[in-house]
Amino acid sequence: MLPRELRDEIVAHAREHGRIECCGLLAGRDGVAQRLIRCANVAETPSVRYRIDPREQLAAFRSMDAADEELVGIYHSHPVSQPYPSPTDRAEAHYPEALYVLVSLRTAEPEVHAYRIRDDAVREVLLEIN
Amino acid sequence: MAVTVRLPGSLREAVGGETKIVASGGTLGEVLADIERRHRGFLALVVDERGEIRTYVNVYIGDEDARARGGLAAPIADGSEVMVIPAMAGGRR
Repeated sequence: MLPRELRDEIVAHAREHGRIECCGLLAGRDGVAQRLIRCANVAETPSVRYRIDPREQLAAFRSMDAADEELVGIYHSHPVSQPYPSPTDRAEAHYPEALYVLVSLRTAEPEVHAYRIRDDAVREVLLEIN
Repeated sequence: MAVTVRLPGSLREAVGGETKIVASGGTLGEVLADIERRHRGFLALVVDERGEIRTYVNVYIGDEDARARGGLAAPIADGSEVMVIPAMAGGRR
């Protein structure tokens, strides 16, 4: 489940980055996202790739441990393409327990979708937004 | 020497679902080998065929990047915390 304010924060993050892919994490409990952690995209070609800064990843895991939270999701934007995991997204998905949340800015109204990715297989998850 | 190893993501599944496990060894290589003895197949997820940490995995010993301390030869003090973190990456191309 994704609270509306966090959904709006993901969209705002994507819009601020424009044609550069934004990325970040969703922390929470029992599958409910409660907190968004913006992260830096350190990919060499950030207009078509994302890679969360490993140091920020380390800090995020530590902060989740300290707050007794779990990793609920990993989000990133597709500035001009569909909100569906690309072959690269699938190949580099190493967190089968997390929701992969994609926001696409290809249309005037941003599209936000979530998926589970395991062994290159993608399954869309209906995002409960409240 | 006992160290705590934190393993999120796909690595967690490779050790039976535990998020943290205790392992022993004086270097990173010895610690990972100790985990491999109990969970066959784990090591290949972290180390490539040349014996180096895979490009999509980051390993921290405390706050230090293991690559900067010699990779698998990096010394590990008793009671250290090791985090083995698969990258979070992707993109439309």
